[in-house]
Amino acid sequence: MSAARILVIDDDPQIRRAMRATLTARDYQVSDSRTGQEGLEMLRASSYDLVLLDINMPGMSGLETCRLIRAGSEIAIIMLTVSNAEKDKVDALDAGADDYITKPFSIPELLARIRATLRRLPQPPGHADLQPLLAKGVQIDLPAREVTVRGQTSRLTAKEFDLLSYLLARPNKTIAHRELLQAVWGPDYGDELEYLRVFINRLRKKIEPDPSSPQFLITDAWAGYRFKLSE
Amino acid sequence: MPSLANSTISQPRFVSRRMGAGATRLAGRTVASLGLIAAITILLYRFFHVNATTAGFLYLVTVLVIAAASGIVESTIASIVAMLCFNYFFFPPIGTLTIADPQNWVALFAFLATALVASQLSARAKRRTQETIARQHEIEKLYSLSRALLLADASRPMGQQVAQRVAQAFELPVVALYERASSSVYRATEQELPELDERLKDAAHRSTSFHDEGSKLTVAPIRLGGQPIGSLAIAGSSLSDAALHSLLNLVAIGLERAISQDSMNRAEVARESEELKSTLLDAIAHEFQTPLTSIKAVTTGLLSDSAHMLPEQQRELVSIADESADRLSKLVTDAIQLARTEGGAFRLKRGVHFVSSLVSGALREMKSLTDGREINLSLSEDLPPVWVDAEMIQMVITHLLDNALKYSPSGTAVSVRAQLSDGRVTVSIANQGPGIPVDEQSSIFEKFYRGKNDRNLKGTGMGLAIAREIMAAHGQQIWVASQPGKGAEFFVSLPLARGAEAE
Repeated sequence: MSAARILVIDDDPQIRRAMRATLTARDYQVSDSRTGQEGLEMLRASSYDLVLLDINMPGMSGLETCRLIRAGSEIAIIMLTVSNAEKDKVDALDAGADDYITKPFSIPELLARIRATLRRLPQPPGHADLQPLLAKGVQIDLPAREVTVRGQTSRLTAKEFDLLSYLLARPNKTIAHRELLQAVWGPDYGDELEYLRVFINRLRKKIEPDPSSPQFLITDAWAGYRFKLSE
Repeated sequence: MPSLANSTISQPRFVSRRMGAGATRLAGRTVASLGLIAAITILLYRFFHVNATTAGFLYLVTVLVIAAASGIVESTIASIVAMLCFNYFFFPPIGTLTIADPQNWVALFAFLATALVASQLSARAKRRTQETIARQHEIEKLYSLSRALLLADASRPMGQQVAQRVAQAFELPVVALYERASSSVYRATEQELPELDERLKDAAHRSTSFHDEGSKLTVAPIRLGGQPIGSLAIAGSSLSDAALHSLLNLVAIGLERAISQDSMNRAEVARESEELKSTLLDAIAHEFQTPLTSIKAVTTGLLSDSAHMLPEQQRELVSIADESADRLSKLVTDAIQLARTEGGAFRLKRGVHFVSSLVSGALREMKSLTDGREINLSLSEDLPPVWVDAEMIQMVITHLLDNALKYSPSGTAVSVRAQLSDGRVTVSIANQGPGIPVDEQSSIFEKFYRGKNDRNLKGTGMGLAIAREIMAAHGQQIWVASQPGKGAEFFVSLPLARGAEAE
């Protein structure tokens, strides 16, 4: 991959300086912005591959910024959180982030997260067979990364897409949490059940006619998840 | 003498004055009745010369008037006197109390019976009316009391207000209220009665009533849901049993309302102060971690940049800065965790969790320390899920792991075990370090305590204190087993989850 473009949104100037210096040294193209508002404008003006977004900013909060970015884009987002509290992590993922990292973090740790987030699942050659899938008013267009439920089309983020296509490629089979995490996020992952909970919920909101009683994305308690296909 | 049933309290002067006034009124009314009969007799006998039948009816009317206007005693006396006058002045032979015609005996007894029955009926009706009016007054007073209690000022002691309002509503000279919860006596009036406090306490604790007819003192327990919550003493007025019962119920409700309001306020204050504390701690964490984040980005950036390796001496210096930043970050994190958990003033978010996922979560968090160390996991198969706050218990395991790793040589293994025993899951973390001297084993859970032989400040002195607070909040134990030279093993017990689903 050629140099990925990263946008750092953080109100602390020292962090912006440190990110710019260290990430540029790793051959990333780095821009930064001081506020969520400014970040949104920069995202509209030019294209980026990934956003590093501080959760705790004056004015427009990180979570709010994340939701607004997600409303119009499937760009990769990593949230920078302070507290290690479960709630903050889930809030970040719920707002549409792909991953989070807790401050203070080390650069190798951050680089690993960036790589995992930008990492794409290699698509099996036969994956064209899977589409278009039509089931009870639900149409999933994998190449276009689009889902249409009762005429309403929504786009999938890269991680959502990878997760869905991994499950779709193995229909009616329970996939263990660890296997899913390592396949979609990478070999460093495996215990982050909260990722799966949040991402499966996000997917359900997009593909299930009734997200509260899923008919496709089934939770097999304590074991994993399964994509249910009739026939 | 006034009767002193069940009482040692007496106020003879007060009582006899009241009795004297009643007797005087009775005598006055009797004299007036007799005067009225005398006047009728003179009128009929001297001036109108009516026959016996007319006289009998007029006497009867007079007795009825007297019965309607006065009590049973006066009307009975009037009936007998009227009968005697009737006989003496109108039945032949006139001027004697003898009766010649036996038929007149019948008429005379019919007259007496009619007069007596009529006076009885009239007196009873009058008493009923008076009672009804009295009940109505009591109900009006109870109503005004209930209104007053509803409008009571919740910021002032409720017992005092209740006593005052009872005294006002019922115009009582003596009202005292004993509140069991605060064991204090509230008086509405200045007037003192001997032994009142003792009687109040006695009534409240033994849940028995006391009544003294003479001084009209009643002391009764205030019950709520069958439990006595205090007692009320009133004197100087006789309330009906029904009114007293209603009064006690009203007072009970008034006191209870104050108590529940009070506990609600306290819970609200506690919740707000907990939220404020939490917000403050979050802000402090953010303020400290932000500069540390840029320091860590710089040091780890320099140390990990393989394209531009630092010379050995500079590498050493940057490593020192990097390790110090880690240490500072850990101090801040631990201090905030300690502040959050200290005194158990935090809410547990309990759920059903598996010990294996709690342990693996902690190991994941400790990845940077566990790298290159041998960790032996032995979690029994089929451990039942536990009912804990996962984040908090994971924090406990993290601190224990952190200690086990820090206080043992780098070449040795750390073991994590979990097993079911006595209806709990016991998790233990053991190392092969120098162990903890027996005399220090009870002190290590105190905050800022560090081993006597360990002055190189490996830990923050807060980890075990945090762990102890978290285990206490769960109602569970944390303990240590160690023999110097043979390592140390820390244990925590976790309660089992029952009938719920794990996540």
